Order: sequence, then structure tokens, then C-alpha cells
Amino acid sequence: MIPNGPAAPVASAEIELRWRSSRHARRLLTLGLTGLFIAVLARRPEFAGLAAPALVLLAAGRHGRQLPRIIVRAKPTTWRAFEDERLAVDVTADGTGDCSVRWRLHPGVEIAPVGATAADGRQARFVVTPERWGRRQIGTLEVTLRDRWRLAEGRATMTLPRLDCYPAPARQRTTVVLRRLPNRLGEHPARVAGEGIEFSGVREYVPGDRQRSINWAASTRRGRLQVNTFAAERSQDVVLLVDATSDVGEPGSSALDLALRGAGAAARAYTDARDRVGAITYQWGGSSWLAPGLGRRQVYRIIDSMLASDAGYARGASFARLPRAALPPGALVVVFSPLLDQRFVEALRDMRERGFSMLVVDVLNTEPPPRRRAEDRIARRIWRMEQDAIRFSLRELGIPVVHWDGEEPLDLPLAAYTRRPMAARR
Amino acid sequence: MTGRATGPATALASLLRGAAGAVRVRAAAVLLGAGSLVWAALPAVHRGDATFALDVAIAGVAAGGLRLALAAVPVPEESYWPSPGVRAWRIVLDLVRHVPWEEGAVIGIAWLEVLHPSRPWHTAVLGAGLIAYLLITHLAESDAPLAALRPQARVLALGAVLLALGAGAGMLPAAGPGAGSALLRLVAAGALIAAAGLVLPSIARDV
Repeated sequence: MIPNGPAAPVASAEIELRWRSSRHARRLLTLGLTGLFIAVLARRPEFAGLAAPALVLLAAGRHGRQLPRIIVRAKPTTWRAFEDERLAVDVTADGTGDCSVRWRLHPGVEIAPVGATAADGRQARFVVTPERWGRRQIGTLEVTLRDRWRLAEGRATMTLPRLDCYPAPARQRTTVVLRRLPNRLGEHPARVAGEGIEFSGVREYVPGDRQRSINWAASTRRGRLQVNTFAAERSQDVVLLVDATSDVGEPGSSALDLALRGAGAAARAYTDARDRVGAITYQWGGSSWLAPGLGRRQVYRIIDSMLASDAGYARGASFARLPRAALPPGALVVVFSPLLDQRFVEALRDMRERGFSMLVVDVLNTEPPPRRRAEDRIARRIWRMEQDAIRFSLRELGIPVVHWDGEEPLDLPLAAYTRRPMAARR
Repeated sequence: MTGRATGPATALASLLRGAAGAVRVRAAAVLLGAGSLVWAALPAVHRGDATFALDVAIAGVAAGGLRLALAAVPVPEESYWPSPGVRAWRIVLDLVRHVPWEEGAVIGIAWLEVLHPSRPWHTAVLGAGLIAYLLITHLAESDAPLAALRPQARVLALGAVLLALGAGAGMLPAAGPGAGSALLRLVAAGALIAAAGLVLPSIARDV
């Protein structure tokens, strides 16, 4: 299925072809010259006859040949795609005259072709799929024109447009909701009474209450007018904190891959629940952030901001001094991290002490390789104990840590915290 | 091969047909090369450089066939520290793909032929075999259909006439000297000079 994503820019260029004799022409020339040479040296005219067909072919092919300049257009069906999603690149050549055209696609890094990478004709379509998230070149396109006699070849190479490949989001339907929600309209039932639709209780009627909220059954039982009360519905601020300092594990299922897929899934789930969602990407040298916002467009903004973590280094804001816009007070902070960087762990402790409600999704799914030497085995055990200690210390501070393997839906590890509102301990 | 996608079954059938056609054309190219080689080499000549010419021709035909067979094999991707096996495989592919083996084969075969005593019609058949070998090799390496040669049919016919003319001219000394034979040799030489005159200016432009 080829997606119809946002319209991609058309790469169009008048291409200067580099024309040269084809291999076929060079072979014919060799045969012709060899025959002539032998005929002259050995005084054997039959060798001149042997040379004749090749020379005549070359001469006839040269006669009246016009080498065109062509215009090549390449248009991907989209410039935004998720991992393993297919997209097509339509290519067209204009002004080719009576030359035959051959296309060859050289896919870029982490771009896999689906089907043929070579095609003939003025128009062609290549289907590719990005294998890993990131900003990637689709590849280069080599176009070869052959004249009618196939004695001259014109070649040119064109760089195809860039593709923004988004991490394939994991599955998450449920959301973690804080017990104390800010006073803003939303869809989560709060613990205070309000104008929502979730039944909260019954109280005595006071003048000013609406008649339609009278609970007649309770009023009959108690002998006085009773009215239904409902829970207020509020929304929350959610900040997705992605640790991009450590990318360990197999490419495609590394810690950073899982962190971005998990964050993408969380961004979708929380924006679907009408929460304001923002993102902070923690990197070496600083952090990049995006203030919480609403709507599906915010999901793409978040993923776009996280794609910058591909570089692994950012000269952004200091993580310790993020503005209130990036980290609003009372926000739920969902952290995706392998917890390998001690400074990041310290930053989490610091945020917890400042009163943020946090939940860590541990995306570490790899270990140091096992070795035979006793010292290596001891080092491995010490490393494991350190990792356990880090997670234990975070739990002791009131930061839940759940492990996610990247395969199962995120709802499963988060189930303990999505069933009921999460207490925001101070 | 076309880039347009169709149904899976149709695509598979078309892929298999295409693969079978490609194998046939490649096999035909190798057989034509081998046939021309044997045609030029027999009867065996035991002169000094015959063995070397035979080696050159065999190597050219064999490696040319190998190049056609490996045409669809992708070059291993660049990596920072490739294994010795991958490096060796890259070298083999480079060697097979970039050395002009067919040119070597043509020179070797013509050399073998010239080591024999004059046999004009035999040489003419060899010429036809060699030109067919080069044309089929071109079709095989560019995956072009046989119909791609249709515009060249008349020129190839003219080439065949000149080939026969050359063979006839080669036979004339055996018929004895005379005014007719001198005239025919003159016509043959004139045709060849005309052909060379047509092609050499464009060669000079290329160089």
C-alpha cells in the first residue's frame, strides 16, 4: 500500500548528460581496427572483410546522430513516512528524442528497494521503504540514454529528495492520568465535582440547581429533593522526556529506537485523550524541547523535534534550566530511557525533588556480551547490580520504573498505572 | 524489465519469463564466443605464439561469459573494515566487470585465425560469428530485446556483402593473376577505405 502523505516536492532538473561511446561501440571498433591492421600487415584482404561489418555499423551509427539534453522529474508520493511504510518515486524524462532510456535507482542508507531497481522507458516508478527512522536521502537516480544504434551512451546522476522517516509508533491505547489535574477542561474525570458526565454522588438540592439533575429515586427515599453530582473533567500536561544519549543494542531495536517508538505512541495516545503533550530530548551538550500543545499536528511536531536526536548532539537549552513552557508545573513526565547515563539519572532525581510526577519506561534490552574470563564475568555482574541499584533508587524516590521490550504494546507495562489515577507525591 | 507493478502472479510469471530469456541470451553469447574461438583455433597450429593467442582468447571468452553471469550480482556495501572474503569478492567483481574481456577475446581469435594459412571463406564465417558474438553480448548486458537490432538490419546486410567481398578478394590470388582479379581487389580495397574513412573522423572526435 503506497501512502498518500503530504505532497512531496518535485525534483526537476535539466540534466547535462555525459556522452561517450558505449561498450558495444568500443568492441566493434576493436574488431574493425584489428581486422584492418591484420589485413594490412599480413596482406590478407579477407581480414579487411572481417573488419567491414563492424566499421560500417560504427559509421552508420554516427551519421545524423543528435545527442539530446533532457529534463528529468522525480516525484516521491510523500516526503514523510513511517518505518517500513512503502513509498513510490515516479520519474519522467522529457526531451529524449528517439533515444532509449534506462533508469537505475541506487537507494540511500537504510532505504530498501521493493522490487526492481532498474526500469526502461521514459517514465518509471520505483517503490522503496525506509528501514529506520531519521532524515534520509531516498537515494540517487542514474539515467542512461542510448542512441538508436546503441553506440553512444549518455549518463547522468540525480539526487532524489529527502525523506523524513518517522519511527513506527508502538501500540498504546490507555493513558496514565494524574490524581491532581490542573483546572482546565478536558476528558479525564477529576476528583472534584463539576459539569462532566461521570456520576460522582448525590447531595441535597439547593436553590439554583438545575431541575434536570434531580435524582427522583433518592429524593423519594429521603423525603427531600436530591440532585446528582458529576465529576469535573480536566486535561493534563504531559511531557515526554526522551534520553538520546545512549543508543545501545541492535540497530532497529536499539534503546533509542524503542525510546522514539514509545514516545511516538505516547504522543498519539495522550493527544487522542485531549491532553497537552510536549517533548524534551535530552542529548549530549544540551536538550531540545517543544512546549505542550494539542492535536494531531502536535504529534508530528513532537516526532520532528525528536528526529533531530539522530545527530546525537545538540546545542540546545541546559537541561537543568528548562523554561516553564517546556516543563509546566504539575505536568506528568513520561521518561523513555535506558538509564545508562548517570547525569540523566541525577536529572531525574532532581526533577522528582522539584515535585514532578514521573514515570520511567526502561528501554534497555541489551547487556554487555558474555565473556569467559572471570574478571569479565565479575564486571558484568557488577554492571547488572549497578543497573538494579539505579532502578531501585528511582523507585525509592517515588518514580515508577517499568520495563518495555519494544515488542508488546506499551499498555501492558503501564497497566498498573493506567487502571487508576497516579498519585502525585510531593 | 519494467518498473510498473502488476498483480503478484503476473509479476512472478513475467519475472520468470524475463529470467529465462536473459539466461538464454547470455548462454547464446558464450556459445557464439566459444564457437568462434574453436572455429579459429582448428586445425591446431603449433607455432610460437599460438598458445598465447589461444590463452588470451579462452580467457576473454570465459571471463566475458562470467561477467554476463554476474551482471545482476550486487557489489557488497562499503563498510569501515570489510572482511578479507568481502574484499576479495569486491576485487573479483571489479576485475570481471571493468576489464574489456570481449575485446581481448576478439583480438585473440583474430590472431589465431591469422596464424593459419589463407582460408578466405573460413575467415568470412569467422567474421560473421564474431560480429554476432559482439551483438548478442551487447543485448545480454543491456537486457535489450532482439528487436533492438532491427534498425541496423540493412547496415548489417551491407556489412555481410562487404564481408563476402573481402573473402572473394582473398580468394583471387588462388584463381591466378589477371585484370579481373586486380579490378576486384581494387573494388574491395576501395570499399574498405571508404568504410574506414567514414568511421575514422568520428573516432578521432572521441579520442
